[in-house]
Amino acid sequence: MSERPQRRARLAGAAVALTGALLLSACSSGGGGGPEGEGSNGGGTEGAETLEAVTFADAEASTGPAEEVPDATPGGTVHVLQETSPSHLDPGQIYSAAESNIAKLMQRGLTAVRMDNDGEYSVVGDLATDSGTPSDDGRTWTYTLKEDIHFSDGSPITSADVRHSVERTFAPFLTYGPTFLQQWLANSGGAEYRELLPEGPYEGDHLPDSVLETPDERTVVFHFEEPQADLPYALAMVGYALVPEDGDTREAYDQEPLASGPYVIEEFRPDRSMTLVRNEHWDPATDPARNAYPDRYEITFGHTTDDSTQRLMADNGDDRYALTFNNGVDPGNAPEVSSNAEYQERLAQGYQPFVATMAINAERVTDLKVRQAIAYALPLNGVLNAYGGAFGGEYAGGLISPLLPGYEEGYDPYGKLANPQGDAERARELLEEADAVGYELNYVHHTATEDARAAVAVEDALEEAGFVVNRSEVPQTSYYDTIGIVDNGYDIYRSNWGHDWLSSATVIPPQFDGRQIQDGANNYSHVDDERINSEIDRIRQITDPAEAATEWFELNKYIVEDVLTQVPLYYYKMNVLHGSLIGGADFNDDLGTVDMHRIYVIQDEG
Amino acid sequence: MSSDTQVATELVGRSPGQLMWRRFRRDRVGVVSGCVVLFFFAVGILAPVISWLYGKDPQTRYGQIEPGLLNEFGYPVKPNGGIDGEFWFGLEPFLGRDVLTQLVYGIRTSLLIALAVTVLATLTAILLGITAGYLGGKADFLISRFIDLLMAFPNQLFFVAFLPIVTTLFVDPREETPTYVRVVSIIVVLWVLGWMTLGRILRGATMALREREFVEAAKVSGASPWRIIRKELLPNVVSPMLVQATYMLPNFVTTAAALSFLGVGLVEPTPDWGRMFAIGAEVYRADLTYMFFPGVAMVVFVVAFNLLGDSVRDAFDPKTNR
Repeated sequence: MSERPQRRARLAGAAVALTGALLLSACSSGGGGGPEGEGSNGGGTEGAETLEAVTFADAEASTGPAEEVPDATPGGTVHVLQETSPSHLDPGQIYSAAESNIAKLMQRGLTAVRMDNDGEYSVVGDLATDSGTPSDDGRTWTYTLKEDIHFSDGSPITSADVRHSVERTFAPFLTYGPTFLQQWLANSGGAEYRELLPEGPYEGDHLPDSVLETPDERTVVFHFEEPQADLPYALAMVGYALVPEDGDTREAYDQEPLASGPYVIEEFRPDRSMTLVRNEHWDPATDPARNAYPDRYEITFGHTTDDSTQRLMADNGDDRYALTFNNGVDPGNAPEVSSNAEYQERLAQGYQPFVATMAINAERVTDLKVRQAIAYALPLNGVLNAYGGAFGGEYAGGLISPLLPGYEEGYDPYGKLANPQGDAERARELLEEADAVGYELNYVHHTATEDARAAVAVEDALEEAGFVVNRSEVPQTSYYDTIGIVDNGYDIYRSNWGHDWLSSATVIPPQFDGRQIQDGANNYSHVDDERINSEIDRIRQITDPAEAATEWFELNKYIVEDVLTQVPLYYYKMNVLHGSLIGGADFNDDLGTVDMHRIYVIQDEG
Repeated sequence: MSSDTQVATELVGRSPGQLMWRRFRRDRVGVVSGCVVLFFFAVGILAPVISWLYGKDPQTRYGQIEPGLLNEFGYPVKPNGGIDGEFWFGLEPFLGRDVLTQLVYGIRTSLLIALAVTVLATLTAILLGITAGYLGGKADFLISRFIDLLMAFPNQLFFVAFLPIVTTLFVDPREETPTYVRVVSIIVVLWVLGWMTLGRILRGATMALREREFVEAAKVSGASPWRIIRKELLPNVVSPMLVQATYMLPNFVTTAAALSFLGVGLVEPTPDWGRMFAIGAEVYRADLTYMFFPGVAMVVFVVAFNLLGDSVRDAFDPKTNR
């Protein structure tokens, strides 16, 4: 997913008023802490543990109700402070993290990812009885629906609804959701999958039984031309949650969707607030993934990260029952939060799926030595400092997130972890070898404070190493459109990428498959390398997830060391505070934030 | 002896300028604030010398290059914003640059911009204000309505909206915008909306003077309008002009700073006074000290300049003495 986290602390207030206050109290304690670069990765905070493997659960583990969270009690109202209000409520339109974190409270799909009390992850059957039964080497997947499952209007969920939900993702008006399943079914890349069912199910056309089969009311069979080992993960995305065949109002469904999960919308005022109440047609006995302890969710929007962090730090009134899914601790408050034990115990920390990289346009910067010089010269600390320091991320050596299976700790071919300030001398040597001192680099960044600040360090360090940097900026909103154009004319630009589920297959192919270069595609560095292309095809055929994970990481090594069209910068981290009367706020690596299915309200004594 | 000299000096004829200077020198507040203002200009002009003597420059990211100066969040490790014998005013959070040289160079850019705008605005005001006042009639009508029109513009909104546009007018978005283009566009935008008050004052003053005998006499004796404006009118409007200009300059400094604070002024890596406030406002909870030096400097500068303006007015026009 190319949605990138935004952390931005914009403060209102007059400069002069502030200076007045400062005249009275012009001292501050030191930032404290160890100097940068000390410790393993320059991150003073503990990282999440590396994931061993994710299991696909069988029928027994997929039976509800969900395992109880220790000490949890049902009831109460949870307040959620969010920055962006969802633009879409139709599950088929939901992809971004901020939207899906809220939608997960309301929508269910065939599968779901569950984190248990020991912190182990498994893909469980959600509306289906298990995580799926593969046959024919993973080309055919069979799902059986549970009994006693209903939409929020009381109508039962049948295989016809599953067929409808899949078919409608081909409809032309659904453009924002994920496209994995459609591409697999149509066995095509890009947007060509739409030709399989151009109008969706609405004109009476349906997918043939050779693609999607629903032999009876409770059975669904997917047929793919290629083995698709990751199907259970994909089906856990909110984008593939179920939409009823009868209640589907097409475009209007985006305003008033039905729910299949524990909550329904009572009131939604876009950009202001959303109230969720219990869905009386949700039966906990069918749901192995959601505990749904609170009775009510009061979600408010428009909170800057600064605002939400301050409120959660203060922990007053209703804010004691508050948390946030997507508003990380802002850089201004980070030192205070990290140094105070009171905040530490109300802090959930972990990695986000995103890896920040500096993409090098392979069509323009063709000399590997020059690209290596860029890698050596880049100041990781300059970029990460601008993006929140140790709370913003952790220096990266490779392109694969520490969350993903197969990740090798300490992989760092260019010695960036020990030398986050960059190695200008080594870079200059390489430039001299390549006879390219004074090489001109067109560098584009966006105008947000953080990126402008990171750009200062990047430009400075590259020029120090002997490059001539021609720096330009574009507004943040059009940044990815600008760098997504094949003939963009730029040499280096930052790009972030996050996996869609816990598999490197959602990281390497979209970014490095040379056959996918086109305007708006995600191969931002425009690399077209024969070995990468053939390796992608080869590894995709591997059915053993652990073996595939290792092979993906090997391919990542080849890309970083021998191709180097994206210089890894840092792994994004997420730090979310919650109020003192919120329990079960555990960090979920799959979601990249607090696990909303496990939280509960700590009831007042007496 | 002393009484003799006093008598002697009193008999010496003095120009209004000399009188003003004598009165100004007697005003202690005026002299002190004048010195402060001069000090700021000296700092601005001598910024490279200060940087050379002090051994730091505003561009180097000391905190990022030398380990041990910034912590893992990008804030100075040492207390009080990292102030020590090496970095007298501390270190900038995140980028780790030296605050003293940043401030000195920031003052330099701010004063350069404010001075340029003041000069341009004053010249425009003289040209249009005196023309309107002296010619009267249609010319006066047109110029006055034009002034009204410009005054009706919401200033801040206009600046925020137009600065990015003006910049892109001159530069291909693919190319790095040269710093001078940004500086020129800020000067132009501030100038366009900065001259009207003075223009009106000068128009009014000129209209009053136009009917005076000495102007009539000059007309009768056949002096050209250009000569009348230059020799008869201008010397008589010098005092409102100078007073107004001393109020305008600090005003332009703060306006330019406000624009940088809002993010439409000068951008990194040009050192800028206003942007230091934006950073200060962002980091004040963890690093309060950062705001101290630019803040105090700005307050002192604006207060001194305004007091200087008062003193200049008092010196020109003793009748308004409090």
